[in-house]
Amino acid sequence: MDWASFFQSFANGLLIAGLYAAVTLGLTLVLGVMGIVNFAHGEMVMLGAYNTFWLCTLLKVDPLASIAASGLLLFFVGLFIYRFTIRPILTDPPLNQLLLTLGISIFLQNLAMILWKTDSRSVITSYSGMSLHLGLVHVGLTRLLTFLIAVGLTIVLVLFLYKARSGRAMRAVSENNTASWLIGINVQRTYLLAFGVAAGLAGASGALVSTIMYTYPMVGFKIGLKAFCILVLGGLGNIPGALLGSLILGLTESFVGTYVPEGSGWAEGISFILIMIILIIKPTGLVGTRRE
Amino acid sequence: MIHSFSRAKVIFLILLAVFLLWYPKLADPYFLHLTVTAFLAMILASSWDILARTGQVSVGQAGLFGIGAYTAALLYKWIHLSPVLGMFSGGIIAVMVAAFLGTLTLRLRGIYFSITTIAFAEALSVIWLMTPDFAGGAMGLSTPPLFGGNREQAYYLILALLALVILTVWLIQATRLNFAFTAIRENEEVANVIGINPTRYKVLAFMISAFFTGFAGGFYSHYNTYIIPYEVFGLGISIACLVMPIFGGLYTIAGPIIGTIVIKAIEEYLRVTVSYGHQIAYGLILVVVVLFMPEGLVGLWKKTILRR
Repeated sequence: MDWASFFQSFANGLLIAGLYAAVTLGLTLVLGVMGIVNFAHGEMVMLGAYNTFWLCTLLKVDPLASIAASGLLLFFVGLFIYRFTIRPILTDPPLNQLLLTLGISIFLQNLAMILWKTDSRSVITSYSGMSLHLGLVHVGLTRLLTFLIAVGLTIVLVLFLYKARSGRAMRAVSENNTASWLIGINVQRTYLLAFGVAAGLAGASGALVSTIMYTYPMVGFKIGLKAFCILVLGGLGNIPGALLGSLILGLTESFVGTYVPEGSGWAEGISFILIMIILIIKPTGLVGTRRE
Repeated sequence: MIHSFSRAKVIFLILLAVFLLWYPKLADPYFLHLTVTAFLAMILASSWDILARTGQVSVGQAGLFGIGAYTAALLYKWIHLSPVLGMFSGGIIAVMVAAFLGTLTLRLRGIYFSITTIAFAEALSVIWLMTPDFAGGAMGLSTPPLFGGNREQAYYLILALLALVILTVWLIQATRLNFAFTAIRENEEVANVIGINPTRYKVLAFMISAFFTGFAGGFYSHYNTYIIPYEVFGLGISIACLVMPIFGGLYTIAGPIIGTIVIKAIEEYLRVTVSYGHQIAYGLILVVVVLFMPEGLVGLWKKTILRR
């Protein structure tokens, strides 16, 4: 066995898993707190990626520095979307929520096509081509940085959920929203904040996406589907599950890319196959139980 | 149910039938082509609605459409099967796939089924792209023009299929199936208690829906003479399948038809004004319908005109 390529694949899978985790966290947060599967999450990632691309192209802002800008921008976009579309249908049947968020997703995809055409764009920085040698493996500097930032975002989110007052309110609401309301938590405001934070996370991870992938109108749809796969893998709405799911998807894609003939093409389909297999065999996900 | 036809309704239907049969003599070729594509879309919309009657939202009808399209094109390529038989085979293969996929996933809650259907269509797209020797890969497949390029005959074929879909929907509404589908949609547990096996009926609805969607896919491949995986398995088709009936009004015969006519008109307008992204209307309509007019155009019409 060729250990160098094994470890290289492992490293690549691990690094991409960090990005997947960052994308999935927001989706998990909204599902966990509000019980809504947000189909437009991927499109918010896409908007974050475009924001970073334009800041870099027009104003020469370093893409990694514009993470905060993309995060903040999408935080407000999220508040807006929540206030005017999600809030009126909070108590509707889940399928209405699905259709609404799907509608937002289609709208944003096509808006991006109208505004920015279907070209694939990429962000190029002074350190784009640099790589580090860590033992047997080569690691691209940009990939390593995105991974570290993604891990950082995850840690910040977890700290927020366990330490901050409003974060703890989110956990309380996700456990039981009626009881939370009874003990004086403002459930509506918690929903609003959770949706905003999730959108902000999407925007920040969009900035990361723009540095290591092409930015084009359908990138959000592609990465959003991967996030769904991770969600399904990890069991819906819990953070440890989302992290484990990211790791499984990242590593599987990477190993398929290395060891299967024409693997990089097939790797794109892994997430879809995994979604179907998991839902058919173990609909509750690999970790934890299904939320009702 | 048959007795509920009023005389006015019968006269209207007869006039409509005469008009539709006479139509190719009246319309110019471009308009005839638009009508054929609109009928195709109506078939997709109505068959999506059949499944929706059981409360299941498929976001992957393109998977079934693409299977039908490729079955017809491949059968022509391999054994020169007559196009109409090829389309029929496309429908049959789509039914078999739907039976398999449905049995496995329709016992799940609604949202999981929806996610599975998207994954299913996207997975097929990847498989087709990666197997160029078998199915043409990204280059797609081409077939000679349907009926030697005779649009009138193509029109009559798609009209017949549309009539068959509407007849099927009408039969579903007029028989006990309607009660079963509605009961499952309203409350699955209760339906189960009163002796309706939800999964069995949902799979049945999915299979009926798949037959017409697959047949329509086969028609598309021969009519269009050219198919590529990005298009026939694409999200665009899946979205069109669900937005048209939702806009028109769910669980009605007229809803999907009216929704399709209005959306096709909007789409045709946008196609000439914006070069990319004309599906933006679909997204906007979906949001507006969910928020403000849950019963679609048919519901709006009933509310404003009939209750005046």
